[in-house]
Amino acid sequence: MPSLGLPIYGQKTALETRRWKSIDELAGRADAEPGEFPEGAAETPAGFSRRGFLQILGASAAFAGLACKPPREKLVPYVRKPEAVTPSVPVGYATARSDEGYAVGLVVQAFEGRPVKVEGNRLHPASLGGTDAITQAMVLDLYDPARLAGFTRGGRALAWSAVLQEIAALAREHDKDGGARLRFLVAPTSSPTVADLRRRLLERFPKARFDTWAPAGGDAAQRAGAAIALGRPLDATFEVAKADVILSLDSDFLATEGEHLRSAREFASRREGERMNRLYVAEPRFSVTGGMADHRFRMRGAEVAAFARAVAAELAQAGVAGLAPLGARAEGEHARAARAVAKDLAGARGRSLIVAGARQPPAVHALAAAMNEALGNVGPVVRWRAPVLVDPQAGPDALRALAAEVQAGKVDTLVVTAWNPLHTAPADLELRKVFGKVKNSMVLALRDDETVRAASWRLAASHPLESWGDLRSRDGTVTVVQPLISPLHESTTEVDLFAAFLGEGERGAWRLVRDGWRSRSGAPPAPLPLSGPAAASNPADTNRPRPPDPFDRTWDEWLAAGLLTESAGRPEDAKVDPARVADALGKLPAPAGGIELGFAPDYKVWDGRFLENAWLQELPDPITKLTWENAAHLSPATARRLGLESGELVELARGGRAVVAPVLVVPGHADDAVTVALGYGQRVAGAVGQGAGFDAYALRTSDAPWYAGGATLKKTGKTTELAITQGHFSMEGRAIALALDHEELPRAKAELDEHRGEAPTILQPVDYSEKDYRWGMAIDLSKCIGCSACTAACQAENNIPVVGKEQVLRSREMHWIRVDRYFEGPAEDPQSVTQPLACVHCEMAPCEYVCPVNATVHSDEGLNEMVYNRCVGTRYCSNNCPYKVRRFNFLDYHGDMAPTLQMLMNPDVTVRARGVMEKCTYCTQRIQRARIDARVGGRKIGPDEVVPACAQACPSEAIVFGNLNDARSRVSRKHADARRYDLLHELGTRPRTAYLVKLRNPNPELA
Amino acid sequence: MSALFSPRSNGIFRIVIAILFAGAAGTVGALMVFARIPAGTGQAEQVGQPVQFDHRHHVQDDLIDCRYCHTTVDKAASAGIPPTELCLNCHSQVWNKSPLLDLVRSSWFANKPIEWVRVHRLPGFVYFNHAIHVNKGVGCVECHGRVDLMPAIEQVAPLTMGWCLDCHRNPTPRLRPLEEVTNMTWQPEGDPVALGKELAKKYDVKPRTSCYTCHR
Repeated sequence: MPSLGLPIYGQKTALETRRWKSIDELAGRADAEPGEFPEGAAETPAGFSRRGFLQILGASAAFAGLACKPPREKLVPYVRKPEAVTPSVPVGYATARSDEGYAVGLVVQAFEGRPVKVEGNRLHPASLGGTDAITQAMVLDLYDPARLAGFTRGGRALAWSAVLQEIAALAREHDKDGGARLRFLVAPTSSPTVADLRRRLLERFPKARFDTWAPAGGDAAQRAGAAIALGRPLDATFEVAKADVILSLDSDFLATEGEHLRSAREFASRREGERMNRLYVAEPRFSVTGGMADHRFRMRGAEVAAFARAVAAELAQAGVAGLAPLGARAEGEHARAARAVAKDLAGARGRSLIVAGARQPPAVHALAAAMNEALGNVGPVVRWRAPVLVDPQAGPDALRALAAEVQAGKVDTLVVTAWNPLHTAPADLELRKVFGKVKNSMVLALRDDETVRAASWRLAASHPLESWGDLRSRDGTVTVVQPLISPLHESTTEVDLFAAFLGEGERGAWRLVRDGWRSRSGAPPAPLPLSGPAAASNPADTNRPRPPDPFDRTWDEWLAAGLLTESAGRPEDAKVDPARVADALGKLPAPAGGIELGFAPDYKVWDGRFLENAWLQELPDPITKLTWENAAHLSPATARRLGLESGELVELARGGRAVVAPVLVVPGHADDAVTVALGYGQRVAGAVGQGAGFDAYALRTSDAPWYAGGATLKKTGKTTELAITQGHFSMEGRAIALALDHEELPRAKAELDEHRGEAPTILQPVDYSEKDYRWGMAIDLSKCIGCSACTAACQAENNIPVVGKEQVLRSREMHWIRVDRYFEGPAEDPQSVTQPLACVHCEMAPCEYVCPVNATVHSDEGLNEMVYNRCVGTRYCSNNCPYKVRRFNFLDYHGDMAPTLQMLMNPDVTVRARGVMEKCTYCTQRIQRARIDARVGGRKIGPDEVVPACAQACPSEAIVFGNLNDARSRVSRKHADARRYDLLHELGTRPRTAYLVKLRNPNPELA
Repeated sequence: MSALFSPRSNGIFRIVIAILFAGAAGTVGALMVFARIPAGTGQAEQVGQPVQFDHRHHVQDDLIDCRYCHTTVDKAASAGIPPTELCLNCHSQVWNKSPLLDLVRSSWFANKPIEWVRVHRLPGFVYFNHAIHVNKGVGCVECHGRVDLMPAIEQVAPLTMGWCLDCHRNPTPRLRPLEEVTNMTWQPEGDPVALGKELAKKYDVKPRTSCYTCHR
């Protein structure tokens, strides 16, 4: 390999900077690395002996002899074909999913009425076409065979009509005292229809109450901070693209908080070119946003406030007016950082942004608001918005009041539409103990869970893709949520349930939503059917001809676009009152001593509601690459001090509550702090979630929902195996994921040239430049935030199976695209580079030379094709692949699929059997569909017409795909970029996927 | 003590070995041959259907174009099996009391689809697209045969990969003008080779033979 003595800030060499994937690797413990194929990778799973295998083999051979040909299949056409459906052609419908109550606009692709693939809605402000992993995986929840179905009361099955009658009787009972003993426990929502229903419910039951509970917090802290600083609980939206300098105070705004898909897109748009932005992150655990930071300051969660005050003090020093009373100079390690950050922010007035995280107390949000205002960012970058949530309060206070009432026996009927509050409620409220005192506990839930088990009424909830509804995004834009499919099981929605308490349960959500919007839009009421005897008495008679209804067209336009045009609200004017902010800051408690326990929503199961989603369970965590469970994250120094190693089980305790958790040492974590992800270890779980992780909620109390001091870790002497994909597929320390300071880029040309261009070869390369299409991909490491949405999207698009924890431990995960995360720098405080890696489609592919049966071959357009029906499973190709992107079906993962899961399969992609190799195809089904459409239309495929699933999902547009033989295509421009390099270029594989060096924009003062 | 095996047993043993090897090879060979003969491909087997639909009558007597019923053949991968409502476009008026159409009417009124029996079956990993073939001038008759002469539909082509590739490697003899695609009896006028070449050029016929063309 050529010399790579390229300079990088703080280090002598750049491209050769030692990048490492795990602590063990850094310490040089060779035995810790599982190598390419870890021990036992070729073994059958436990409980499946060779003898048993031979018996099964014999039996299948015997059955095969019985019939030479399969029986003839049935062709089942429609009776009445829906107008929009063409068999074998997918149709996209715009809808939305709720992210902590706010809309994320989606376009869902359906084949013959079966939703198969979720994409982001380009027109929607909270998506801009991108999605996250959780959104990609929502279709799996829809088809989950273990979903709750039907309705029961006290174990007695009820039809929906009977439910309506019994609710009506219950409602009459509560009419007597104005609903004084009626309570609703709901999740945050922005739905105008639900808002209307709730208003009307409170008219009928004036003494009833709605309590909102959001275990993952949402924007509650931000609104509480705005209430302090601005006097009103306002929402904030950010124009991240307009910010030159960004300071994140423990905010994961690129991956989970706020309009994170939009923020990621806008942030990434400023990670290349001349005017790069600069990101500072102060946080305790290594987050996705922290991974993108130019400077990351690790500190305990309770210390972030002091850091923020130090920045405010330095800003005041630098001449920013109005911040002097809020600041407080800091001593110690972060003082210099605060000074440099403040100087940078002060130099970018009106072009900077300070974001406080959902886990920080309201006072920090108030301080961030004050700093944004003082810097002149409010207006150009930060906008205050009237809250669109029906109930902006979603903290533990409401839940505490409710628990007290239940305890006192003051609640007869409790309607729960929030997700599993018995699991998520703060442990000190003891909701589990008191819940049984409620006479009529009515729970609406998608799946069986602890709260459902404890309830007397169990109502199956419809999946969002089966429901009518409406949602708003933070700027107020309304999206009508339309179903893609009628409910697979007998189930209902929150809208229908609330309507039932109003005696309108028979109207149905569609009518409730549509009629609500008809009146809100000012359209006249629906015209009555044309004259006839029954016309006046029965306006719902749909068989009778009707005069045209002008609202039909408006409604259809809203549904088609996925949003109501011009429904966004205007930013609010608000002024910060520094005295109140100073007062709130003064009341902040000093950071507690001892080890700080921090809680965080999980990147995969979120607050626990996606625990049963196998795609998300198997998705490696963006930072830790942990699958199938959670762990107690510790910094290397703290782990050393406590004598702990990854995989050791400890008793993690705080305030008399304790759980047993496995330790995971995470580079870059704050010292003297431990972070645990919420949502795992549920008491009632199905086949997927059973035994996954430990229950972090058991340690969480209402006085310290996010950070609490005084945690203890005690060795139990036991260890466990953590299914981490991190050490697998190691690239053996070669220059793979490259990162540079952007100022170094011009000087790095010669070095980068070593990694691109023609490589010497004795083989004559095939010339593809005369072909119509030369497909290629470019992955911009500057833009990749590592969120893993691409992995989830690929899983959904390409019918990729889930293999389970035991198989992941043997490196048998099947993901066609993985996101490698490399650390660089010291283990205590490293920086990271994330690198999505799928088959790079080598023009000179090493896999092809070694296949004895020609199962992997080259197409005329130069793509590396995998032919499943030729593959005999020698796995030579995988052995010879330098990128380690081929996946082998060791077992029949798709065997015995439940009928509902069969509906999930993408009909354009073969469902692979046991014993065949598979890998990324560049979404060949999408290429072929585009090719046939273009050739039928007598044209060429457009330069950017084909979009593979990973590129479509990517929120930051890091992945670009297209025709390299068309100079207009985006991918051609990316391949010609100065930052372009080829992975393992020296091997002469001529990959079609090019990478673009990650650029960082460090502050010279912090060098 | 006499020998355990007589001298003859050597010969018997050789013969047994030979039979075993020949048997194994023969079985594999026979299966490979079977997969290619009509009995194995499912050709030349008239397939009964739940409704006695007669293509002869509808095509020859009524002169109905293929695309009246198989509506998506030029637009989508699937040619389209007609929904019940399409049958009733005519049969709500003509033969609306015929006992032969009982199933069609009951399907309509019960809203229950008619379950036809599939005749042309491709393996699950083959993705055939009707639209591209029809739009490039490959007539229905090239693969489906003289449907207008079939009382019950049978498969005339072997539908093996070799058969597909024959045409993908040399499509010109099987091309026809687009307006004759559904014509069951069209014959080229003049030199068929020259016409095929001309049509291939006119319609930009460029069949591909790389694996992902049909396998995904």
